[in-house]
Amino acid sequence: MPGILLAVILYVAMAIFVIGMGWRMYRWIRTPVPLKIVLTPGPQKASGVLGRLAGELFGFRALAKADRTLWTPAWLFHVSLVLLFLGHLGGLVIPHIAQASLGLNEQQFEHMAQIVGSAVGILAIAALVWLLLRRLLLPRVRWISTFSDYFALVLLLLIIATGNAMRFMGGLNIIQAQRFVAGWWTLHPVAPPRDPMFTVHLLLVCALLIYIPFSKLVHIGGAALWSPTLNQRNNPRQQRYVTTWEKTDGNSPASS
Amino acid sequence: MEIPQLHPDACLGVQAHRAKKELLAPLGLPPEMPPDWREKALCKFDELLKQRRSLSLYLDICVRCGACADKCPFFLGTGDPKNMPVARAELLRKVYRRHFTVAGKVAGSLAAGEELTDTVLQEWFTYFYQCSECRRCAVFCPFGVDTAEITMAAREVMASIGVAPKYVTEVIKKAHETGNNIGIPEAAWIDSCRFLEEELKEQTGLDIKVPVNQAGAEVLLVPPSADVFANTDTMMGYARFFHAVGISWTTSSYASEAANFGMFLNYDQLKKVNRRMLDAAGQLGVKRLVMGECGHAWRAAQAFMDTLNGPVDFLEPPCPEHILELAARYIRAGRLKLNKSANDGLTVTYHDPCNLARAGGLLEEPREILRAVVNDFREMPADTIREKTFCCGAGAGLLTDELMPTRMKGAKPRMEAFRTTGATHLAVPCAICKAQFPVAFKHYGVDAQVVGVMDLLGKAIVL
Repeated sequence: MPGILLAVILYVAMAIFVIGMGWRMYRWIRTPVPLKIVLTPGPQKASGVLGRLAGELFGFRALAKADRTLWTPAWLFHVSLVLLFLGHLGGLVIPHIAQASLGLNEQQFEHMAQIVGSAVGILAIAALVWLLLRRLLLPRVRWISTFSDYFALVLLLLIIATGNAMRFMGGLNIIQAQRFVAGWWTLHPVAPPRDPMFTVHLLLVCALLIYIPFSKLVHIGGAALWSPTLNQRNNPRQQRYVTTWEKTDGNSPASS
Repeated sequence: MEIPQLHPDACLGVQAHRAKKELLAPLGLPPEMPPDWREKALCKFDELLKQRRSLSLYLDICVRCGACADKCPFFLGTGDPKNMPVARAELLRKVYRRHFTVAGKVAGSLAAGEELTDTVLQEWFTYFYQCSECRRCAVFCPFGVDTAEITMAAREVMASIGVAPKYVTEVIKKAHETGNNIGIPEAAWIDSCRFLEEELKEQTGLDIKVPVNQAGAEVLLVPPSADVFANTDTMMGYARFFHAVGISWTTSSYASEAANFGMFLNYDQLKKVNRRMLDAAGQLGVKRLVMGECGHAWRAAQAFMDTLNGPVDFLEPPCPEHILELAARYIRAGRLKLNKSANDGLTVTYHDPCNLARAGGLLEEPREILRAVVNDFREMPADTIREKTFCCGAGAGLLTDELMPTRMKGAKPRMEAFRTTGATHLAVPCAICKAQFPVAFKHYGVDAQVVGVMDLLGKAIVL
């Protein structure tokens, strides 16, 4: 595939992702929250709310209460996803800055990337397989699963599998990959690396970027952060909670 | 508790009786389904999506992880997969996807979207009235997705096209007409309170008042009306307490009901029913508002009142106060003389009503009181109490005979947890739970009794 075409697909996918996510998040934030619906334990102070949200974002605390056999793969998968993202950022987008800030020489940096990247790549696959098996084997979870649930899991599996394949089969020229990313980033697209796996991997990522804003994966926009049961202070008796409801009501199509 | 095998459509046949026009019209609802009900319903749906982030966000972000699936008492009791909170929400979500999302409009059923049809509406009326809005699922959801918000929205959409249960609408109509859910007129309310005064005189030899419409009293107590007619020991418990601590108090025959069934139908009725107690407090010129032993009443008053009908600046804080908060405050200050042995012979455990535990955060006060007035107090297993409490199975408008099969199955997790304690008495500060549990005890062959927390306190107070 010509480099320019691949680059254009990636520009389009990235644009759909950014605009789509922005639109979805704007709609959540814009929609009023008419009543206090905070769930126990409802912190009274803002600091308590921050603690609660941090616990959910970084520790998946509610999920831990619900089911450890779900929490474990879910948490591991999300952590490995963040690490993979940081790895791509450090290894491909800003390799020199990353290397310098870690205080490593080129060889050490590559060595570290090799070890950490391999470990996290395997961890991510394992967590995804666990989640997929859980979805297939637990009757109640299988019952609630839709096509898009499997689609998301399979897409992610393929992306990480192709990534791992490049790493373990050694077909990828990392310098070429860095050059491609730099060219893309600076709007001067160049040819992608020879390894066809790179093109497949990148196209799958484009598919994911396009898919996210239109699917349940939209939850990466910080679902818990906007959730009134979690982000409200439990102080309806201390401070009157004033709703923006009436104003919106007047503008709604049903009442016009 | 054991996770049941799936029994698809096990509960499809259990449906509430539908309200007819004589109940719908007085509540401002269409007396019958309009011919273009589908468009009207979608229009209402659209309106709610724009008004409530809890609806649009929760329909968007669920990942169907299944963390909630085995947390709902109605699923645990029935095995009907559509009673899994995630599946219940999907009933609304699939229509949302089809009509309000890009993916659903483009990809239709591939994106799990579905048209709003008569079949779907029937499913809604079945399963959104097999949800007691107890919010146990939300406690375990990584995003705090609150199925009660979904259920409330679905019920509101249905109500807007004249699809509502007879029971809920009938109760709201009575509350508007008489001030209470049972439909007791003022004269009967006053009579019953006089009768309780006589009863108290017999029990204690003292003139303990159960005042009605007493202008200038310090406290307006709003109990669930059932406390005056069915759970009279609770009512006498309030009276003994106020007598002992010397607070002047009154009930109101205009707002003789703490419960707010508006919450189980739509926002408009929630607001209107809630208004009554504030009007009564204003007319009587009381200083403070205290709520009796009722679960969802506490949520409506504590969390919603000031927003809905405020600012409530003519009453002293904390406004409202729960009777159990007030009593615990006096016990803590050492201002009540208590004789625990009055409740000897009882083994007591405590059931957290959903709305006290999950919406109000009223977890410690009832326990403080029970420890102070009962010698043998035990807890049920940790994953069935406090914010993880199981619903009694009859909340949110389910306390009606035709839903009995669902109610009894929904009570199963709570009954199993109760059995582990060996308790003889289940203390419950909620009128709906108090009506449900005796039936459930009988159904499950449990030999135990239901009491209010204020009943036990009342008996232990040394007058």
